[in-house]
Amino acid sequence: MDIRKQITGDTHELLVAGRVDGEGANQLELEILAAIRANAQSIYVNLSQATFLCSAGLRVFLQYWRQMKNNKRLLLVTRPSPEVDEVLETTGFKAQMVEKV
Amino acid sequence: MEIVLTNRPTERKRLLQALQSFAAEHRLPVNVLQAADLALEEHLTNVFNYAYADTTVHEIRVRLSCDERALHVEVEDDGRAFNPLEVPPAETSVPLEQRPVGGLGIHLMRKLMDALDYRRERGRNILCMAKRLES
Repeated sequence: MDIRKQITGDTHELLVAGRVDGEGANQLELEILAAIRANAQSIYVNLSQATFLCSAGLRVFLQYWRQMKNNKRLLLVTRPSPEVDEVLETTGFKAQMVEKV
Repeated sequence: MEIVLTNRPTERKRLLQALQSFAAEHRLPVNVLQAADLALEEHLTNVFNYAYADTTVHEIRVRLSCDERALHVEVEDDGRAFNPLEVPPAETSVPLEQRPVGGLGIHLMRKLMDALDYRRERGRNILCMAKRLES
């Protein structure tokens, strides 16, 4: 899995390519933590190039979505690929976690 | 096809390669491969994390087969007795603020695979999963 970062002011976009499996979820968590430490007000995780998302990834999203929300900040998933969209929909994450276009 | 893994995380890549090979050989639809891939990831995560109280190496056997109607996936491990089908359903309509952490792996297995069956035999857990070839 590969993660590219794009930072504009206090908005961080993480572009994830590949599999968000157990190992990928750990890597994603480290990047989200780095963004939080850098005082990101908004974190967008672009999953348009993600080919796989498992519950370990969902756990990371849930934990940091909550943490950001509790601190009046924002973490959202953007542009989920079809495979990832199905997982987000099936688990009820889509309505609150995915940016509405 | 039978793949024998050990309970080491690095083994996952080998299983994925075997699954992809099997899917290519049998020309399985992409959605069938994706469902089996995710269901195996979720089940093996549970086995690796919770099945063993020791740190020794254990063998896990994954058997893949297909007929004209479905892909069949069977996972056999010698961990502690655990029937994932007895886990209560996850409440996915609860707002995210109130969701418990965990429990979604088995939920995904239930939703993505068309059939799940568990039995305990000679000290081993055997989980069988099936995915229809046509939706």
